[in-house]
Amino acid sequence: MSKSQLNLTRIVLLDLWHHKWLCLLALTVVLNAVAVVYASHVNRQQISKWDQLLQQRDRLDIEWRNLLLEEQAQTEHSKITRIATKELGMHRPAPSEEVVVRVP
Amino acid sequence: MSRKTKQAKRNQKPTLIPMRVQVVLFFVCLLFGALVARAAYIQIIEPGKLRHESDMRSLRTTSNEVQRGLITDRNGEMLAVSVPVKAVYADPKRVFDHDGFKPGNDKRWQALADVLHLDEADMVARIKRNPKSRFTYLKRQVTPEVGEYIKQLKLKGISLREESRRYYPSGEITAQVVGITNIDDVGIEGIEKTYNDWLTGSPSKQKVRKSRDGKVVERLGVVQEGEKPNDLVLSIDQRIQSLAYRELKKATELNQATGGSVVVLDVHSGEILAMVNTPSYNPNSRDQLQSFRMRNRAVTDTFEPGSTLKPFVVAAALQAGVVKSDELIPTSPGWMRIGGRQVRDAVNYGDMSLAKILVKSSNVGVSKLALSMPVEQLLGTYYSMGLGSQSGSDLTGENSGLIRERYRWSDFERATLSFGYGLTATTLQLARMYATLGSGGLLKPVSILKMKTPPEGERVLSADVAEDVMHMLVGVTEKGGTARKAHIEGYPVAGKTGTSRKAIAGGYGDDYWALFAGVAPVNNPRLAIAVVVNDPKGDRYYGGDVAGPVFANVMSGALQMLNVEPVTQREQLQLASVKGRAE
Repeated sequence: MSKSQLNLTRIVLLDLWHHKWLCLLALTVVLNAVAVVYASHVNRQQISKWDQLLQQRDRLDIEWRNLLLEEQAQTEHSKITRIATKELGMHRPAPSEEVVVRVP
Repeated sequence: MSRKTKQAKRNQKPTLIPMRVQVVLFFVCLLFGALVARAAYIQIIEPGKLRHESDMRSLRTTSNEVQRGLITDRNGEMLAVSVPVKAVYADPKRVFDHDGFKPGNDKRWQALADVLHLDEADMVARIKRNPKSRFTYLKRQVTPEVGEYIKQLKLKGISLREESRRYYPSGEITAQVVGITNIDDVGIEGIEKTYNDWLTGSPSKQKVRKSRDGKVVERLGVVQEGEKPNDLVLSIDQRIQSLAYRELKKATELNQATGGSVVVLDVHSGEILAMVNTPSYNPNSRDQLQSFRMRNRAVTDTFEPGSTLKPFVVAAALQAGVVKSDELIPTSPGWMRIGGRQVRDAVNYGDMSLAKILVKSSNVGVSKLALSMPVEQLLGTYYSMGLGSQSGSDLTGENSGLIRERYRWSDFERATLSFGYGLTATTLQLARMYATLGSGGLLKPVSILKMKTPPEGERVLSADVAEDVMHMLVGVTEKGGTARKAHIEGYPVAGKTGTSRKAIAGGYGDDYWALFAGVAPVNNPRLAIAVVVNDPKGDRYYGGDVAGPVFANVMSGALQMLNVEPVTQREQLQLASVKGRAE
C-alpha cells in the first residue's frame, strides 16, 4: 500500500528538477515579457514628459516675449530722460564738467 | 467508512474508452486550431485594417508654430518682437449643423460679440449670410486671454487659429528704418521687407501618437522639416536714434517744416548709427499708414545739396594740385560774371584763403576753384564719394540721386556744380561724403546691419587733403562762421551749412532746404552727421539756424554716449595753430 501510494508533490518537484533548464527558460521568457512591458511604459512616460517640457518651453518663450515688450515700454529712452530730468532733477553734464578717468 | 472507500476505489478503477478520448481530443484541437487560424489571419494575412483603426484613434500630426525673428539694435534693444495671438473664425455650416442659433444660445453670442468689440447683429448676419460656407474671419489678432474666454463659450463652429502679431517697442522713432509687416506677417516696408526671408521661419510638422488623455506617448518622425527664423541685429544705436528723433522733431515743429531727416554714420565702420525722419508714424497701429509718413526720407528723397558740397570742391582742387592749401584766392569785387550770368557773395571778402572761402561759404571763391580744373575732375570727385550711386545699405526705396551726364558744360553750369546745384543727393549720401572726409579719404560701404569687422574702404582722397579740408572746416562753427549754433563745447566740429532753394518749373522758388553736415571730433573723427530740414517756414530758414542746432545737440549727445573724450585745452590750442597755418 505504502509503495503504491505516490507522493505527488515529490513527483512534481522531481519532474521540475529534471527539466530545470526548460523551466528556467520559461521563467526568463515571462520576466522578459514583463520587462518589455515595463520599459515601453517608462518610455511612454518619458516621451510624455518630454512633450510637456517642450510645451512649457513654448509657454516660457511667449512669456519672455511679453516681458521683453514690457521691458522696452518701461525703459523707453525719452521716458527715462523725462523721469531723470523732471523727477530726479538730473542733467547731462557739459563736456567741460566731465572728468576723464584713464584706465591704465 | 474505510470499507466504503475501498469499495469506491475498486469500482473506480480507470478504464480508457478510446472513442471518447479521440472525440475530446478532436474538439480540443479544432478549437485551438481555430484560435491559431484567427490569430494568424489577424496578424499575418490581414493586419492592415486593425492597424488602421488603431491609428485613426491615436495618430495625430502636430505642428510647431514659429514666431518671426527678432530685430534688435546694436546693443540688443528690441526693435521688433512677435507675440503669438489668435484669429477667431467661424465655420457657418458647422454652426447651422449644430443648430447654433437656438434660443438658449443668445447670451453666448452676445458675450462673443462683446469680447471681440463687434456689433452682435452684424456678426450674426455675417455668419447667416451664407450658411453653406466653411470659413469667415470674425476678428484677427486677439490676445490669448480673449481666445481662452471664447473657448469656454463652447460655441460650435467658432474656432481659433494661431497667428502672430508684430510689436515695435520703439514706435515712431525707428518706424521707417525697421518698416512694418502686413497682417499676415509678411514684411512690406523697410528692413522687414528687405530681410523678409531671413526673418521668416516655417513651422515643423511631426507625427505623434497620443494616448487616451491627449498626452504624446510616441514620436513617429518629422513630416515636414521646419525652418528656424533668424534674428537680425541692426547697426542702429537706439540711444542715438532716440536723441536724433527728438531733436529733429523739435526742429521740424519749431520751424513749421514739411519734414526732415537726420543720418548718423560711424566714420570708421560705415555703419548707420541713427536714421530718423519726420513726419513719422506709429507702426503699432494701422490708422497712420500714409506714404508720406512711411517713406524713409533719408534715402528716398533727394535735394540739391547746395553749399554742403563746397568742401569737396576744395578737396578736388587740392587733389588735382591746381591750388595749394596756403594759396589766396582773389574774390574781389564780391561777384563775377560767367557766360552772361552772375555769381555773387553776400559781401566783398577780398582775397580769401581756402579756409575762409569755406567759413564764409563764398560762391565766387568755389566757382573760381571749379573753373580752374577740368569738369571731369570735379564730377569724378563727386562720383567717387558716392554721389549718383547707391550706398550699398539695402534700404528699401533707396534713391541714387542724379548727376547729369553730358559732353559739354557751360562755365556757368560748372560754377553751379561747385556750389551744389544741378545735381541731387540724399541725406545718406551727404553723411557718407562727410564720413569719407573724417576717415581720411576712405570711402566705406554703408551698412544698416551691425558688422563684426570694419570694411576696408576705398581710397578716394589722399589722407593729407582730407585732413587739410577738415581743419579748414573747423572755423564754420566758430566765431565769424556761418553756423555758430552748430558749435559744440569740448568737441571741435568740421561741418558745413547749406541752404538750397527748391527748383520749380522754370527756375528756383522761395522754398528752401536747410542743411547741415559735419564730422566730429576733428582730432579723431568718430561720427558724421547730416541734417536736412525740408521747407522751413519760419523767419529763419538758413541751414545754420535750422539744421545747425539739431546737428550740435545730436552730435554732442551721441559723442557723450559713445564715451568719446572731450578735447582738452592743450589739444584745442594745437588745433588752433593748425587752423592758423591753413588760414
